[in-house]
Amino acid sequence: MHTELEHGLARLLRALPEDGARPYDFGEFERRTREAPIAAARARRARILAVAIVVVLAIGAAAIRFGGGTHLPAPPAVPLAAGRAAALRPAVTADFGGDEADAQQWLESLPREPGVVRVGTRAAVESLEDHLAEVDDLMSSERAGPAAPARLAALQKERSQLVSSLVQVRYAETLADASR
Amino acid sequence: MTRLVEITVPQAVRERACAGEEGARQSIYAAVAPATFALIRRIIGNRSTAEDVFQDTMMSFFEHLADFREEAPLGAWLRQIAISRCLMHLRSPWRRARLYIEGSGATVATAEVESATRALPPEVIDVERALATLAPTARAVVWMYEVEGYSHAEIAHAFGRSVSFSKSQLARAHLKLRAWFEPQGNRPTCTLS
Repeated sequence: MHTELEHGLARLLRALPEDGARPYDFGEFERRTREAPIAAARARRARILAVAIVVVLAIGAAAIRFGGGTHLPAPPAVPLAAGRAAALRPAVTADFGGDEADAQQWLESLPREPGVVRVGTRAAVESLEDHLAEVDDLMSSERAGPAAPARLAALQKERSQLVSSLVQVRYAETLADASR
Repeated sequence: MTRLVEITVPQAVRERACAGEEGARQSIYAAVAPATFALIRRIIGNRSTAEDVFQDTMMSFFEHLADFREEAPLGAWLRQIAISRCLMHLRSPWRRARLYIEGSGATVATAEVESATRALPPEVIDVERALATLAPTARAVVWMYEVEGYSHAEIAHAFGRSVSFSKSQLARAHLKLRAWFEPQGNRPTCTLS
């Protein structure tokens, strides 16, 4: 179904100038080709390192899960009126085997503020909308073909779930925007 | 500029390039590189990423040049490699992870579009900007369908998705582009006639 826009669009897209999209010359291509094995080796080393980190983390997590927990000191109960340093001293001293300087160092190494990572919703929304469009398309095909009420009902149910997820993501997005 | 799919290279030049002759490789590069980069740039959007994908494409092209069987023009064969590399990039988990974290990586940066279109006539700038508002997947589908002449079945095959996926992506892109071209406030618009 081509409308006037689609015809015009194809024509305009084909007529777009390419002057701003010149690639680099052959000399540069050869230089980059020579450097490619070095970059690949670097990427391979980075991949190995990433895998090693994941393995160490997995072993650590397994040790925590099955080995009875960590040896980090439990957060002490801090009475507000008594003052932070005074309240910390007995608990921390006990857990660090009496080495107060180590405990102090460990406390200082902790971040002052919790790290906040803001995750965008665009990819989630895009994926949900894609899925929704596919379901819509399938429903149109089902309606055009021989009647299959069960299949149509299943698609309708899937569509409702997708719309519900999309609404939740949008709502979360609105809340996040409002809190900024 | 000649379309990539129409570019052919004499067999003798190809054979010399396969044998490692620098001059032959250079002349093939000069013939195919502009159209290849233009195609990749249109699909990827961002210039520096497009250069990485282009480099990867051309390296793969020269590496496998001896395997070319002349079943289609050389440009058509290269186009397949370029599009497959672009789609690999769009599907890459690193890119998707970046998209999740940055949240706004889907469209081409406005500054980049503006700098690339500074000297162009207004109607062309409008089309460039409209294209830049599309998500990379939608832009790839639009370009493959409208300009490269791929069918929905071919696009679906290239993406490893259903024909419905291709149709719905194209329909949604058209809706978005239609909204862009409809007059709204003071925004300069382009007339499609």
